[in-house]
Amino acid sequence: MKLNLIRTKVLAAMVSCLLAGVGGIVALMHYSFARNSQALGTESVTSAQKLFTILEARETSKMAAVSDTLMMNPQLRDAFAAKDRGRLLELAAPLYPQLKREGITNWMFHTSEPDMVVFLRLHNPAKFGDHLDRFMDKEVVRTHAPAVGNELAKAGFAVRILRPFYDSNGGVTGYLEFGEELGQFIHAMKSQTGDDYGLLLSKKFVDRQFWADSNAVWKRRDNWDDNANFVVADRTTSNDGIIQFQGDLAGVSGQGEVLEYFRNGNSVLVRGIFPIHDAAGNAVGAMFVVRDISGFYLSMRHTQNVLILLTVVALTLGIIMVLTLLNNLVFRRLQHIIMVATRVVGGDYEREIRVDSDDEVGQFEQLFEQFRRVFVDLLAHVPELQEKSELQHK
Amino acid sequence: MSQLYDLRMLIENKIKADGLDAMDVKGKIGLRSGRMLAFITPTTADEPQAVAKLRQAVKDVLNINA
Repeated sequence: MKLNLIRTKVLAAMVSCLLAGVGGIVALMHYSFARNSQALGTESVTSAQKLFTILEARETSKMAAVSDTLMMNPQLRDAFAAKDRGRLLELAAPLYPQLKREGITNWMFHTSEPDMVVFLRLHNPAKFGDHLDRFMDKEVVRTHAPAVGNELAKAGFAVRILRPFYDSNGGVTGYLEFGEELGQFIHAMKSQTGDDYGLLLSKKFVDRQFWADSNAVWKRRDNWDDNANFVVADRTTSNDGIIQFQGDLAGVSGQGEVLEYFRNGNSVLVRGIFPIHDAAGNAVGAMFVVRDISGFYLSMRHTQNVLILLTVVALTLGIIMVLTLLNNLVFRRLQHIIMVATRVVGGDYEREIRVDSDDEVGQFEQLFEQFRRVFVDLLAHVPELQEKSELQHK
Repeated sequence: MSQLYDLRMLIENKIKADGLDAMDVKGKIGLRSGRMLAFITPTTADEPQAVAKLRQAVKDVLNINA
């Protein structure tokens, strides 16, 4: 293939277009994928945050309703007013397994201020008399109104409701507390969305010894040293590798953040995170969200492959068509002119150029044919032409 | 006889011997050398430049070192 031929240059230009087209499609699809996966990630984080808020509100509402019902029970009310722990336990204990099945894992009665100590733990009756001194305790004492929020305590990180408990005369005899472990929320969220979640707690708010003890009680591996700034309290997947976060949980935006999309085997996933605040407003933890976007990715790859195939086919057909047109309209006719010119110089004065078209090349063919006739006529009139006899024979 | 005419004869003989297209071969050599072979006669004067050009054309077209 000669590089100086128009045919070669046109072919090179068309192949360049083909490569640029395919490259453009790949770049466009990559950009599109990056944007869409970012949007999917944002949507995952936002929807997970909304779902978490809805679950939190629903469970809080449930605990408020249960506490209302309990306060209407005169036997319970009187037992608590009399500070009869045995009687209170006897009355409340049968109810606890039912509440636990509904997700209420923590149930406590607190004495009134100024001591405000734990009078009875239904989830651990043997342990009582301790002073918790949490934000919610102070808040309920201050306002004498129900305090609601997430609180990290010895029993774990839970959404809690703490409210005054009144005796039959309307006086505050103490406080009633219900709580649900936030860890169980993520399993409900997974069953609804199919995404994976991890509940992270900032180490700043978790006591190291408490963490070791609770892992021993629950027969879990002590994962304190797995991450620098946080511990994974619970997760919906057995794969630790998908939960990766190097930053500070306190620095996570309130709206949540999309961290990255990544591959795990044949799957393509996107990671995101949003903060979880306690009742005092501290960012004590975060919810890690991992969404599998393999379906979207495969669909995008399929679209990309179809587009590339269509581009290659279209441009290949275009190349064939352009070269065929050039060959028929230009190259073959130029070749014919060259052949006639060569033969005329060689002595074939009768060979003519057929002019079939008045296009640009046709105009040149016509001009050249006129020139050929003049040239042959000139040769015929050259007196010195030693090959005159040869001319006459032609 | 001139060298130019000798070269012409060489070309004619080669065409006959190999059964080549005479008009095509003569045309190509004529275009390359800038001289129509039909005008070369035994008395054509040998211009060194013309001889060299024709010799080179013969080599290019027929691959003969004349």
